[in-house]
Amino acid sequence: MSMKRINKELQDIGRDPPSQCSAGPVGDDLFHWQASIIGPADSPYAGGVFFLAIHFPTDYPFKPPKIQFETKIYHPNINSNGNICLDILKEQWSPALTISKVLLSICSLLTDANPDDPLVPEIAHIYKNDRAKYEATAKEWTKKYAI
Amino acid sequence: MSRSKITVKVLSADGLYKREIFKSPDPFAVLTVDGSQTQTTETAKRTASPHWNQSFDFSVTENSILIIQVFDQRKFKKKDQGFLGVINIRIGDYINFSDPTSEQTVSEELKKSNSSLPVSGKMIISISHKNNSRDSRDPTNFSRQSSSITNSTNTNNTTTTATNNNISNTPLNNNSSSQFPGIAASSSSVATATATNSSSYANLNSNNSATSASSPSSAGARQFSSFEDQLGRLPPGWERRTDNFGRTYYVDHNTRTTTWKRPTLDSSSNDQRNNNINNNTHTSTNIIGSSNNTLNNHNLTEEEASTLEATGQTVPGLGELPPGWEQRFTPEGRPYYVDHNTRTTTWVDPRRQQFVKSFGANSGYNAQRLSAMGPLPSGWEMRLANTSRVYFVDHNTKTTTWDDPRLPSSLDQNVPQYKRDFRRKLVYFRSQPALRILPGQCHIKVRRDCLLEDSFREVMRQTPEDLKKRLMIKFEGEEGLDYGGVSREFFQQLSHEVFNPAYGLFKYASSDNYTLQINPNSNINPEHLNYFKFVGRVVGLAVFHRRFLDAFFVGAMYKMMLRKKIVLQDLESVDSEMFKSLCWMLENDITDILYESFSVEEDRFGEKVVIDLKPNGRNVEVDNENKREFVELKTEWIISKPVEGQFRSFMEGFNELIPQELVQVFDERELELLIGGLAEIDVEDWKKHTDYRGYQESDEVIQWFWKAITEWESEQRARLLQFTTGTSRIPVNGFKDLQGSDGPRRFTIEKAGECDQLPKSHTCFNRVDLPPYKDYDTLKKKLTIAVENTIGFGQE
Repeated sequence: MSMKRINKELQDIGRDPPSQCSAGPVGDDLFHWQASIIGPADSPYAGGVFFLAIHFPTDYPFKPPKIQFETKIYHPNINSNGNICLDILKEQWSPALTISKVLLSICSLLTDANPDDPLVPEIAHIYKNDRAKYEATAKEWTKKYAI
Repeated sequence: MSRSKITVKVLSADGLYKREIFKSPDPFAVLTVDGSQTQTTETAKRTASPHWNQSFDFSVTENSILIIQVFDQRKFKKKDQGFLGVINIRIGDYINFSDPTSEQTVSEELKKSNSSLPVSGKMIISISHKNNSRDSRDPTNFSRQSSSITNSTNTNNTTTTATNNNISNTPLNNNSSSQFPGIAASSSSVATATATNSSSYANLNSNNSATSASSPSSAGARQFSSFEDQLGRLPPGWERRTDNFGRTYYVDHNTRTTTWKRPTLDSSSNDQRNNNINNNTHTSTNIIGSSNNTLNNHNLTEEEASTLEATGQTVPGLGELPPGWEQRFTPEGRPYYVDHNTRTTTWVDPRRQQFVKSFGANSGYNAQRLSAMGPLPSGWEMRLANTSRVYFVDHNTKTTTWDDPRLPSSLDQNVPQYKRDFRRKLVYFRSQPALRILPGQCHIKVRRDCLLEDSFREVMRQTPEDLKKRLMIKFEGEEGLDYGGVSREFFQQLSHEVFNPAYGLFKYASSDNYTLQINPNSNINPEHLNYFKFVGRVVGLAVFHRRFLDAFFVGAMYKMMLRKKIVLQDLESVDSEMFKSLCWMLENDITDILYESFSVEEDRFGEKVVIDLKPNGRNVEVDNENKREFVELKTEWIISKPVEGQFRSFMEGFNELIPQELVQVFDERELELLIGGLAEIDVEDWKKHTDYRGYQESDEVIQWFWKAITEWESEQRARLLQFTTGTSRIPVNGFKDLQGSDGPRRFTIEKAGECDQLPKSHTCFNRVDLPPYKDYDTLKKKLTIAVENTIGFGQE
């Protein structure tokens, strides 16, 4: 039952929270969470706090959770709607993964983008060809939307 | 005559002829009973003394003839099919029909065919009853017993004296006196008699001699005039004759009638009883007799072979003939069947049902579910060569062949299994009375711009019986009588509408967007169940009228149509995420990861409802021990539950035209071909939606490329498409919707590679790397090689 599993994850996160992240239900609905990620220090997102919305499907954990950035972010793998292009949220999902692990993966995606599998090709192009410009824009967006 | 189930166990063969000095054959045996029930053993590898140890069940009468032919699989494609010999057995000679425990081991020398290829070795089989369903009071039983006795007295002594022959030939009477005009040659000794009879008839019937002690013929049997036989003189006015199959029949010149029954001097109704009395006296010695059978049957086989007639032999089936059928008899008394529906005749009893084994490509043999063998195709006849080997006459082309047209045409390992079986099953399927076109016409008039609505109205207003009449489709405002072309177009166009995901009835599979599945949310259209019934009718209509639909469903859909069990693998195309997770579940320790019970949760308008997968399932926790059961139940639930109502309506419509038991002769892959056909690929559409990299459409190489494709048959085109895109299927809306692994990807030809290399393909990107070949022939050759060396059609 997904309910039981989600409760278990909630307990685990409370007991042993992942670094730089937090997550929990929004209201009474256990299937709808909000999470926050603190921008990694070694990235242009440092200092920002990024909020994410998490929806657990009825079939969780057979199906991956749906996770979206609620805070605008400039990143080759995250588009303007906050959708994240991350393999473990799609074809690489496994029931052994948890929200905690997924949030850590998103953190590392912020540090190391994957421009070869871009969701936003324009940003990927700049990331690859003009890293300085990318970092500047990312910092600017972070300052503008996440601080 | 009652039928019995027997089990024939093919034990082994010994000392088969070796055509090659260094290589032994790969022998397999084909068993045929009465020319209609066929079974095949597995192929033994590289041995002249194969051990098969395979059992097969047959439905027989004691007059049934079992023919076992041995072939070398490695040479099966050759002219003589690697023929290694044949044996013929009359079932009644080996097995006692009144004794359910009767069992007999038979060792028979293999015989030549008339191709005079050398043959050696022997065949060892055992025959036993499968069950005891026979009425033991049946008088014909006793004839068998007496025959075994006489065989025993006759052991190794074929050049017998006249007296001996008189005794040994007694069974002839019993056989021919039975109701069924069976095979006259009942045992080796009988065969001798009939063989010599045929010659003696020619010699003696004019001189009207009554000599009873003429010198033995070369075959060693005594000759009788045509007015007498071993039992003495026939009644006045009766004459004994032999038909061209060596079977004895009797002409009553008094009444100008013929019969298989031997008349007796007293009232002919007494003759069976007489025989019974006669035979009863011998039953006690039966056991000795049958034990000697094996020895006994080697002797007269040459003669036996020449007189045995097992071709097209039909044994009356059970129950009434199908409507429109009639049983008639040839002047020789052989029964045949007239199908007034199709105005055809056949030797094969239409009521006959069979079980066959079919050749498997690599894995040996697959048991077929149902009577897949069926009658011979129209215009074909089965005959027996004078060496007793079965051959087939195709009256359509006036050719003969050793190949059973219902069997796979060759054992070519490269031909996919399904293709070889499919042709045969199709013949059976089409020959069924339920699939005959009814008299009259079925008019369907539609407007092109309202095709779906009009078709729905037209197809649903008619009764299923109306829809089985000759289809006359008319597009409003267009001339053109439907001689096939219009209805072909109708089904093509209609499938583009009905299966278009935009209508919400169907949606694409999760793994691609070529194959379709029922949309679980189709109830957005309140009429959706009526529409599914309509779709079912349309699919049935197309199959019934031999038209193809431009639609390919997910594998699970075909399996559901065949009422086959849904397995985890079927889930992949329906819900690939769930498939992966369930696979993960089976492969990994789920402790502290999954907290499932045997239930599922369903979201009904925002409210979560728990549904048990088995009784009280919500209170049964899933652990590593029972997770397999959970996966099984959940898979079935996911695939069938969300579309349960839609599917039921669909099948309701489909079964109105195609009976369920008939469609079930096919497997899911064959059903796909039955409905969709081998995709006809529109080269123009293909060309129109092709991109070029490094080439231009006007380049010579590109021109050659399309020329080659245009010249190809559709199967090769399909293979090229498989080579470049990974599937032979085309999106419902044509090449413009071709998908790559990363979204829409048009077919692409890229200039890459050296001229001495073969073309390469990138199926993820629907791309073929075509080297700039210097001339057309090279291009076509290289392309053919590349395409044909890919593995075809997803063989398992």
